[in-house]
Amino acid sequence: MSKNTVSDRFRKVDVDEYDENKFVDEEDGGENQLGPDEAEVDSLIRQYPSSSFLTLICKGNLMEALQAVLKNPPINTKNQNVKDRAEGLVLKVLSSFKASDIEKGVQSLDKNGVDLLMKYIYKGFERPSENSSAILLQWHEKALSAGGVGCIVRVLTARKTV
Amino acid sequence: MSMCNSSWSQMVFYEKAHEGSRRGADTSAFLQSPQKMTATLRPYLNAVRATLQAALCLENFSSQVVERHNKPEVEVRSSKELLLQPVVISRNDKEKVLIEGSINSVRVSIAVKQADEIEKILCHKFMRFMMMRAENFFILRRKPVEGYDISFLITNFHTEQMYKHKLRNSSKIFEDLSLESFCSRLGRRCGSHGK
Repeated sequence: MSKNTVSDRFRKVDVDEYDENKFVDEEDGGENQLGPDEAEVDSLIRQYPSSSFLTLICKGNLMEALQAVLKNPPINTKNQNVKDRAEGLVLKVLSSFKASDIEKGVQSLDKNGVDLLMKYIYKGFERPSENSSAILLQWHEKALSAGGVGCIVRVLTARKTV
Repeated sequence: MSMCNSSWSQMVFYEKAHEGSRRGADTSAFLQSPQKMTATLRPYLNAVRATLQAALCLENFSSQVVERHNKPEVEVRSSKELLLQPVVISRNDKEKVLIEGSINSVRVSIAVKQADEIEKILCHKFMRFMMMRAENFFILRRKPVEGYDISFLITNFHTEQMYKHKLRNSSKIFEDLSLESFCSRLGRRCGSHGK
């Protein structure tokens, strides 16, 4: 039997690509996002002295360090290095908190901050080092009591991860 | 390992909605008194429980690809908009739980602590025993996900028929699975209920 069309290239077209209802992730321009400023966060952490009589001051600086490190999350960027660096910084700040101060740190964040903190906590769980998981578990507990289950749902349903 | 029938029947951990709460009480007692509690165990279990509670919001969703089919989207992974972010909760580098969610199904994979060779072998045998009987467990997956020891697949049909909090508890049985705690719990079960 002869073919009823001259060429059969149309058979190789992937029709699903051109479906109007096909879901496409929004691609925002993320190249300008650099993540939290490393120098700023480092200087804030280094102001935490090891001697005990300056506890008031160092408590204040850790809070600021937490705020600073959650300030410019590299959510839209595709550069994996930026994301890794941001994650490392956040982990550094979270580990330098004392166990009793974690709750205060969480209280000082607003709703978006708690969501962002949860995202970083889950990101940190993916690469456990010696003590990081224990610290992250404590932070998770406190962030959960502040943000509730909804906080976790927002992490799960976020299209762009930190 | 010799296991008496009654202890295994206690360990059947699917709960139908119309069954009494006595069975449910047994499973939770099973979980909440491990002999050795390290400092990270409780926060770890709480974190997993909370994350599971968040992920176990499932609704019926027919397949978009094939007519009149209903597939667990977390296994098929055909459409990106139906999948949630996979999330890991780790207690240390050996023990972790991976929770992958989607609109109508959740896949929970658990990596259990295996300290030495004998524990590795026992764990492997125990998991194989369970997974071969996956049909009776309903939510168990026959093969674990790569890198983990056991996996569960919970679909919206399971959450419609079974209590959500009991589904959550049943996967938690495996999380504190070390040889001592397992044998001690088994001994307690066998002792209290006889053969």
